[in-house]
Amino acid sequence: MNIVVCVKQVPDTWAERKLKQGDATLDRESVDGLINELDEYAIEEALQIKEAHEGEVTVLTMGPQKASESIRKALSMGADKAVHLIDDALAGSDVLQTSYALAKVLENIGFDLIVLGAESTDARMGSMAAMLAERLSVPQLSLASKVEINGTAIKVNRQSEDGYWQVEAQLPAVISVVEKINEPRYPSFKGIMAAKKKPMQVMSCADAGIDTSLVGLANAATEVVDFTERPPRQAGTIVKDEGDGGNKAAEFLVTQKFI
Amino acid sequence: MMPAPMISARSPEQEQFAGALHDMLGAGAGGATTTGAARQWAAGDRAPGLGLWRELAGLGVTALTVPPQWGGLGASPLDLVVCCEEIGHHALPGPVAESLAAVPLLLTALCTEHLGTEGRRDEELCAGWLTRLADGDLLATLAMPPRLPYAVDADAAGLVLLASADTIRLATPGTRHQSVDGSRRLYEARGGRVVAHGPAVTEAIRRALTVGALASAAQLLGAGRALLEASVRHATLRTQFGRPVGAFQAVKHRLADVAIGLEFARPLLDAAAVALAGSCPTAGRDVSAAKVACADAAHQAARAALQVHGAIGYTREHDLSLWLTKVRALLPAWGTQAEHRAIVLAAVGGTGLIGTGSP
Repeated sequence: MNIVVCVKQVPDTWAERKLKQGDATLDRESVDGLINELDEYAIEEALQIKEAHEGEVTVLTMGPQKASESIRKALSMGADKAVHLIDDALAGSDVLQTSYALAKVLENIGFDLIVLGAESTDARMGSMAAMLAERLSVPQLSLASKVEINGTAIKVNRQSEDGYWQVEAQLPAVISVVEKINEPRYPSFKGIMAAKKKPMQVMSCADAGIDTSLVGLANAATEVVDFTERPPRQAGTIVKDEGDGGNKAAEFLVTQKFI
Repeated sequence: MMPAPMISARSPEQEQFAGALHDMLGAGAGGATTTGAARQWAAGDRAPGLGLWRELAGLGVTALTVPPQWGGLGASPLDLVVCCEEIGHHALPGPVAESLAAVPLLLTALCTEHLGTEGRRDEELCAGWLTRLADGDLLATLAMPPRLPYAVDADAAGLVLLASADTIRLATPGTRHQSVDGSRRLYEARGGRVVAHGPAVTEAIRRALTVGALASAAQLLGAGRALLEASVRHATLRTQFGRPVGAFQAVKHRLADVAIGLEFARPLLDAAAVALAGSCPTAGRDVSAAKVACADAAHQAARAALQVHGAIGYTREHDLSLWLTKVRALLPAWGTQAEHRAIVLAAVGGTGLIGTGSP
């Protein structure tokens, strides 16, 4: 089975994330990048599927040179090869454009199953699975907390607010996974050393047949018109407890409509 | 202008391996944190600590120094250093330098140099142990008097050796002694059957002492880093006179000194590992220099951490105590500062007033 995991390099969740003053895109230079956390669950699930059903795991990312760090992590966890879509024309692409670019690459490299994390921690659109499925005309099974594959049939437990739905489809398909699904492995010494020798294909827009007039910040369907920095935290109100602290706390909660 | 970055001997892969170990030890295993496991270990419950060791074995830690023919990775001394530094950074309990460095080296020498007193039988025995060490199926420890008088965690180890002068014996745990670090359970090694004997054994024991000192130096550097990180965190959060205590020069400069000590110890540590990998004739001296520098830097970090934390640093309940006591215990282990300084002095042609420490 040919499994492709799409991963994204995101700014460290613990760092303060900011938009750049000039073009209102995310400032990726001033913070450390790392692999989107949910994508690690996607990689783990792909590896488990491969271990149970044989096949090959390809990791695909779109992003600047720095994104190769995320590829290296995926390869050292056990993915077999990688494709890195890298082109200045892609900078500032929104989710619609990214799905177009990734779909083009996926058409090129072929797939039986595409595995994604449910969302990225920076943009948090959570819509890539749906968009890729639409563009590639394959079924999507999103928010999976469990995946079962039997021949060409795929069955997942789709996480919902009050339980889960069982959804079934035929491969090829796109799935996205939630963090409940597994516990991602740590890269081992052997895995890290082996990753150095694994094939990594670098693709440009031209290689993938991507029309550059459809991608990039200037051609994006969405636009950040304006933004303001988060205001500094205000000092709170200090209530001195003179035996009525409980009441005062309750009054505060009432004014905030919590109770 | 930014200062030029210090040239690092470590490869991106080694940095990545350190990162993976940091993530794993930071998250813990089987619901147990590493610090929690260290406390349990001290109390005599080794299950959570052994769980962490098994998880580490999965990442290849226990196979690092075992040669490939026995299922190991045959990794370099620098790989070992990177790994032991992260282990020290998280205060992992267990016989680290013993099981990961010194014992695999002795067993390998026994097999490849045919030192077994009973020939093939001992070689097969050692090969079996090496395979189990690599798999993470066996913890090993040893005593090498006079430099290493006690076998740490002999009660938890499946294999205990007593290596002294020109003889290696199988051993069993004897009388227990108290360490300042509760998670180091010290035992006298009661020697049994001789498995190797002869002049070549003396040489193997010397090398085992060297690699053990290197591993413990790395542990010390990692512990020093943890102490600095905890101190900086505390100095940023704790306020006095309306500002974080770290804003006061007395605190700020002290921690800067700690940072400098650790930064300057690391190149010595890495250089010693590189020298050992290349069987450089100065390797013994380099390891001694690294042990002195790392132990000094870690000790300075411990003293500063204790003061910066104020009274809370003295409490057992605070996790700081785990690193404070570990640094104090590792400082003289695998050779005291005086012994290692004497080795460096002798290597540069000087004659000191103190002896080399080895009879």
